[in-house]
Amino acid sequence: MEILVCIKQVPDDSVTVHLKANTGEADLDGISPVVNAFDTYALEMAVRLKESSGGAVTVISVGPEGTENAIKSCLAVGADSGYLINDAAFNNAGAPEKSKILASSVKYLEKSTGKHFDIIFCGKEATDYSYGQAGPQLAEIMKIGVVTDLTDIKKADAGVCCKQETEDGYRTVQTGLPCVVTVSKPAYDPRYPTIRSKLAARKMEIPVLTSSQIGNITAAKTANITLRIYEPPKRKCGVKIKEKTCADSACKAVGMLADAKLL
Amino acid sequence: MNFGNKKDILVFIEQNGGKMLKAGIESITPAITLGHSLGGKVTALLIGTENQNSVKRLQGLGADKIVSVEGPSFSDGCSDAFFYALSQMAEKYDPAAVLAADSPLGRELTARLSALKSVSCIHGALSLHMQDTSTPVWTLQAYGGSIMNDVAPCTAPFTATVRSGAFRKPEASGQKAEITEESVTVPKDVIRSQVIKSVKEISEEINLEDAKAVVSGGRGMGSKENFKLVEELADVLGGVVGATRPAIESGWVSRAHQVGQSGKTVKPALYIACGISGAVQHISGMEGSGYIVAVNKDEDAPIFDIADAGIVGDAMQVLPVMIEEIKKRKTGAN
Repeated sequence: MEILVCIKQVPDDSVTVHLKANTGEADLDGISPVVNAFDTYALEMAVRLKESSGGAVTVISVGPEGTENAIKSCLAVGADSGYLINDAAFNNAGAPEKSKILASSVKYLEKSTGKHFDIIFCGKEATDYSYGQAGPQLAEIMKIGVVTDLTDIKKADAGVCCKQETEDGYRTVQTGLPCVVTVSKPAYDPRYPTIRSKLAARKMEIPVLTSSQIGNITAAKTANITLRIYEPPKRKCGVKIKEKTCADSACKAVGMLADAKLL
Repeated sequence: MNFGNKKDILVFIEQNGGKMLKAGIESITPAITLGHSLGGKVTALLIGTENQNSVKRLQGLGADKIVSVEGPSFSDGCSDAFFYALSQMAEKYDPAAVLAADSPLGRELTARLSALKSVSCIHGALSLHMQDTSTPVWTLQAYGGSIMNDVAPCTAPFTATVRSGAFRKPEASGQKAEITEESVTVPKDVIRSQVIKSVKEISEEINLEDAKAVVSGGRGMGSKENFKLVEELADVLGGVVGATRPAIESGWVSRAHQVGQSGKTVKPALYIACGISGAVQHISGMEGSGYIVAVNKDEDAPIFDIADAGIVGDAMQVLPVMIEEIKKRKTGAN
């Protein structure tokens, strides 16, 4: 099975982002860039599928220079090759354009490598903006099937069988190939790289594709216009309760709730 | 921005098992704001196997028109059929905007529509105000809720989804909506995926958004067994159980209880956070609560920065005493 995984490099989501005092923009300096968590789940699911059904996993990312590192960290945990799609013309692309860029990249890679991708994996959303638009948009542009919010996937007679997370349980959804799937948190965790796999990944080439290969796609045609960036209003910090024993603290807190007529 | 002659708003009201999603009904509220500002009407769109009950319930909830698309193809989970019907209706009614709940289906359909039509797509809106009569400004969270962005779409039409609990239900009014039944035949070749099986793992209904009290547990609860203390405390308070993503991913409680990013936004009078360190992804979903109590061993946990009362201590020791104390006070009062 030929598998493609689309990833995005995002700032480490365990760090609280603040605004830069001078420019009023989100201050991402000093926050380490990581592979979007849901993309790491997608990659793990893809690599497991490769291991059980054969084939290869290719990783692509539309992103700024430096995204090579994110791609290399995917190569260290089971991906076989990776490409960066980077062009100044793609800066500030709206979500539908970004998906068009992805779709054109798929076409270009298929033509230039002779591969035909059976499944395209995406994380269900990125932890920076949480839009979750890339997967469904990519499928719509390519006119192929899409199944969202997967927690598992299996090869089936005519395609793949997907376990789709729902609000109150799950569904089993079957879809033909090629298709796009988006991945939520599976029951398992992504694997860790080994020193050896890290070293091997570091040596690998990450070809960069630009508009000269995949075509000029007008950016920012549909990008939302940001009018204001701000931090949410802060709540005031109340009192800390730290009595001699936990039981005393608990009683004091319940007393406070009773006084505030909250019981 | 220029909406041209487009001024009506199409709201897709999602149903699950024949029941309308809360966030679906709530999305009528911004539709009214936007529609009225553009001088247009609000059309609520139901797509399903049987819409009768929902059509009745939608009456008087602010929509000017209710469009019902019914058929056996539109069973829960068949997103390809839903997408076909939605895009047909968007074509026919030519709206200025298509709104939906920020649910997995709502997000998929609006994203696909935006790709099909090359239009702006706004996901996870928390509020809406009109900068002028034709510039809708939506508030979105970024970076797990640590940053807020006010954005405007740059195309007309555009699509948007609204977060559950972010908007109030539309005020009940005596206004009668005109009902139109539309028949949509879904061509076979647009159906690319089939639902083989649907499994319901959660039978009880969890209404976090309307709860007066929410008691949530996080990673610090340590185990499924310990998490029962959270449930017990919620029980004596007559409240609802909430949870953080790590607690849910550990399998201690079902997804329906998730508060925060990719879960529910709640604003109860009382919120008790147990064993929750206070990651921004969680805080962004509960910061609007009236009174926040936090229980955590770690005195430096960020949850204490927003708590009205922060108990520094082991939840496993604090919660049993709180439960007993509250029980005592309740019986004492009776």
